[in-house]
Amino acid sequence: MPDPIVLLLAAALLFALALLIFHPRKGIFIRLRAGRAAAQREKMEDILKFILDRQQEGRFTSNEALIDVLSIHPNELLRVRKTMEAQGLVRVEGGTLALTATGQQLALQIARAHRLWERYLATEARLPLQKIHREAHRMEHRISQSEVNALDAALGYPLFDPHGDPIPNRAGELPAKELGKPLTEWEAGTPGRIIQFEDEPPLAYEQILAEGLKLGQTLRVIEATPERYVLTDGENEYRLAPAVAANVFLVPSPKAAIHGGDVFPLASLDDDQPAEVVNIDESCQGFTRRRFLDLGLTPGTIIYPELNNFFGDPRAYRVRGTLIALRRDQAGMIQVRRLEPE
Amino acid sequence: MSVLTNENLTPQDILAKAQKLRPQLGDAFRDEIVTSLYGEAERIAQRAVHTTKDKRWDFDQRIDRIVTSPVWGLPIMLLLLAAVFWITIVGANIPSQMLATALFWLEDKASGLFTAWGIPWWITGFLWHGIYRGLAWVVSVMLPPMAIFFPLFTILEDLGYLPRVAFNLDFLFKKAGAHGKQALTMAMGFGCNAAGVVATRVIDSPRERLIAILTNNFVPCNGRFPTLIMLATVFVAASFSPVAASFVAAGSVLAVVLIGVFFTLLVSWVLSRTLLKGEASAFTLELPPYRRPNIGRIVYTSLIDRTIFVLWRAVLMAAPAGAVIWVLGNIYVNGNSLAIYIANFLNPFGVLLGLDGVILLAYIIAIPANEIVVPTMLMVYTGTGMMIDLPGLDGLRTLLIGQHGWTLLTAINLMLFSLLHNPCATTIATIYKETKSAKWATVSVIITLGLAFLVTFLTASFARLIGWA
Amino acid sequence: MSSNPCETCPANAQLAQMGLKIEKFDRIVALAGNPNTGKSTLFNTLTGLNQHTGNWPGKTVTRAEGGYEFNKIRYKLVDLPGTYSLLSASQDEEVARNFILFGQPDCVVVVTDATALERNLNLVLQVMEITDKVIVAVNLMDEARRKGLEVDVRSLSRDLGAPAIPITARNGEGVQTLLSTIEEVINGNIQTKPLRVSGTDQFRRSVEELSGMITALIPNIPNARWLAIRLLDGDARVEEALVNGELADLVMNQRQSDLRLSSKTALAGNQ
Repeated sequence: MPDPIVLLLAAALLFALALLIFHPRKGIFIRLRAGRAAAQREKMEDILKFILDRQQEGRFTSNEALIDVLSIHPNELLRVRKTMEAQGLVRVEGGTLALTATGQQLALQIARAHRLWERYLATEARLPLQKIHREAHRMEHRISQSEVNALDAALGYPLFDPHGDPIPNRAGELPAKELGKPLTEWEAGTPGRIIQFEDEPPLAYEQILAEGLKLGQTLRVIEATPERYVLTDGENEYRLAPAVAANVFLVPSPKAAIHGGDVFPLASLDDDQPAEVVNIDESCQGFTRRRFLDLGLTPGTIIYPELNNFFGDPRAYRVRGTLIALRRDQAGMIQVRRLEPE
Repeated sequence: MSVLTNENLTPQDILAKAQKLRPQLGDAFRDEIVTSLYGEAERIAQRAVHTTKDKRWDFDQRIDRIVTSPVWGLPIMLLLLAAVFWITIVGANIPSQMLATALFWLEDKASGLFTAWGIPWWITGFLWHGIYRGLAWVVSVMLPPMAIFFPLFTILEDLGYLPRVAFNLDFLFKKAGAHGKQALTMAMGFGCNAAGVVATRVIDSPRERLIAILTNNFVPCNGRFPTLIMLATVFVAASFSPVAASFVAAGSVLAVVLIGVFFTLLVSWVLSRTLLKGEASAFTLELPPYRRPNIGRIVYTSLIDRTIFVLWRAVLMAAPAGAVIWVLGNIYVNGNSLAIYIANFLNPFGVLLGLDGVILLAYIIAIPANEIVVPTMLMVYTGTGMMIDLPGLDGLRTLLIGQHGWTLLTAINLMLFSLLHNPCATTIATIYKETKSAKWATVSVIITLGLAFLVTFLTASFARLIGWA
Repeated sequence: MSSNPCETCPANAQLAQMGLKIEKFDRIVALAGNPNTGKSTLFNTLTGLNQHTGNWPGKTVTRAEGGYEFNKIRYKLVDLPGTYSLLSASQDEEVARNFILFGQPDCVVVVTDATALERNLNLVLQVMEITDKVIVAVNLMDEARRKGLEVDVRSLSRDLGAPAIPITARNGEGVQTLLSTIEEVINGNIQTKPLRVSGTDQFRRSVEELSGMITALIPNIPNARWLAIRLLDGDARVEEALVNGELADLVMNQRQSDLRLSSKTALAGNQ
């Protein structure tokens, strides 16, 4: 006769194991099943978004493109496509896939979730731009419609994502967008504001970011040769290969034309040198921008670097009678013009 | 204006209208709102405020130039901190001795009286050598340093010095991927880690707030200060002349605090590259004008609100802890008390860390409140048969070095362990409340405890390797 | 300094600090203001409480409540977290904004720093957009004098359209006047006509169009203009309050309590 305690323990263990597998909400079994369903839905959503992207570029989507770019197994694609056709999301027209009205609406909503997430990750969570696409891609499948709307509201209804792509609104309408010219066609010497980065291919995009270029930044082309493009924002120089430069889109920047050359970032202002705020860089958005404004860093405000510390960063500036410490990279986002000391 | 009546207008219509108008205004309209508000404020203020004296550099600004200066900023900060510790150590020494003498005298007399009245030994023991002795230790070890440290620190806080510290150190926090206001929350942690955790609400970024919460425990709170002060005084400073001793003690407490700052930065750095990936967020720190502290109010509030509060909490924990230790020390199995059994069981592990079994046992009993570690430890030592003849610090030295084989390594490792080990129960509960997550509360314990074991193990091994211990 | 910081101030005649005894009160007064302007000091002076007063921004993270009695009327005093603005959605600004909008204070005292008035007035102007019952307490007058600044509170009151009272919360200077002004403003004996800031033409047109709709939906709403701006800005909390009827309820409650109070004062007048 075995020890009753051992028996009891064994029974408890068995029960726990059974619970782990068959628990109606948290069990392994149900999770596996839910996981498979979710994976299928993710695939469908990826396909919808891909077709939408192609459609906006005026291109058709073939089965081959899907198999190639989304790396779906042909058999699986066949199965998923059938489901999608049955749900009335896509129709097949002579070898190419097209979105139905319902499919288009759904695709726009997924793009909306994706771009809002990117916006959130870039401006509020301050994740590096290289990382936001993957993270947003993960989230776009998990977030509910009402959560997307809440996110939209919390971000103050932004019109564009951090790459400059338009964000569809609740009704699926896209905001009107200025058409940028690629940097390679931009006239040397004229100031232009960066309005969009093409984030494909990733390698070129990473080079753009590695150079430190930001959306909303105002630049001039100072050298354009078949080997390289050299740009300047008045302080720093940026070098890009022509293939990479073609992925940067600019629009004319009237503001910069007025400012002329004496406007520079606050971070480069000498200690104890009074200056006047010209504007906050367009690349500074979201919470940080609002905080700057609330502190009174509005155009025309007089600012004065008063304290410097051992590390040289941050510095404390006198703004409207109060000392405010700003880190170097933040002070780089505020454009100022030198004032003559009284 | 269109003719709209209440019947056919719904809130949704208004939202739709706002949604339609919004893109027309463009992104710049927020800027315009604020600009016009500040413009108006500027006009009104210019009309209402007149300057009578033209003082371009007032007194405040001159002080700021010194306390944040690239040359003097950091030395002044260290000096101020050292001064606070020194005053605390010197000021607390004699009152501590007096309190201990008085309270233990009372224990002696009272237990003698109980015995004379014929009350059973175990009632006398449980009440006087258990509960009362726990209380006596806590009051005599903790009350004087706290009553001095709290007001001093509050003066610095009310003066407006803390934001300057944050300003001076921000660069390090930025490098660690953390928020500059973490220095403020750490300063609050000196008072109480639970308060420090609550203070992290000033950090807007959730990622950086979590970092600040998880690392706050590396600032030794008021409950742990007396432990550090006692160890620094009894062991580190003992071999110096009486004149130098207090400075050495203050210096070693300062060193422990700096080690804590180092680990704060290190753990923040690791966290922002692993569990809590991300860049340092944008933040703005206001350096408020200096204000004259209201000394009377400070002494009143720090004595009544803070000292009594913390002491009361310690007392509540110390009484049951005293009882537990007395029971453990007085239940004998096969000729040895339970306390001895547990301590012996923990001893190999304790020795590995440069500590011993009794210290670990004390830490386990003191999980509810770090304040009672030293009292608990002393009670286990004394409760197991040894009575202290001399109360006060000399008595401690005789007890620990003479009878229980403590070395400098034990003292140093105990200081490190006290600095790094898990937060007290109150702080863990606060972390859980603030993060609403059992996961992060657990992580905070794992990080601190793991680090405490690792660091003490390494120092102990190193010391043994080069033949120190 | 004794434990009672208000022994010397003249307000002592009618002021009774009530500490935490705030179960029964007649009026609610909110204290708003920039960080480090001495809100908590004023709060302590009035209530006799010991709300911790550290000199670093963000020290009051949640709101503190206390009570005082003045001229036999009991006030509940709410100390809001210090903010520069009510526009960016940080936690402390949410707390302050939501209380001013939804907490229905009978009067909001904006505590300002006399030595940095320009910065402080930005918040004053924003609070005045939400509510008419505003008093500006120009605190730290002693600091201002030390720095050689003269504040012309009459000019300030005139420009703002709301009473401005010079005080030094630390020693109780001007607190008596502040308390009676609070009373007068709540009773309607002092009429406030807060200044409203306008923006660009297109902005103004959009705001007018939207606020017209809000007034049509909720007649008598006092801050349609401000709500319109918030909706244009995309303030999720205000959208929610509009949709779930919270805003309409606020207006209703306000009118009922106004009626109650006026009947009470009418009774008091008869006695």
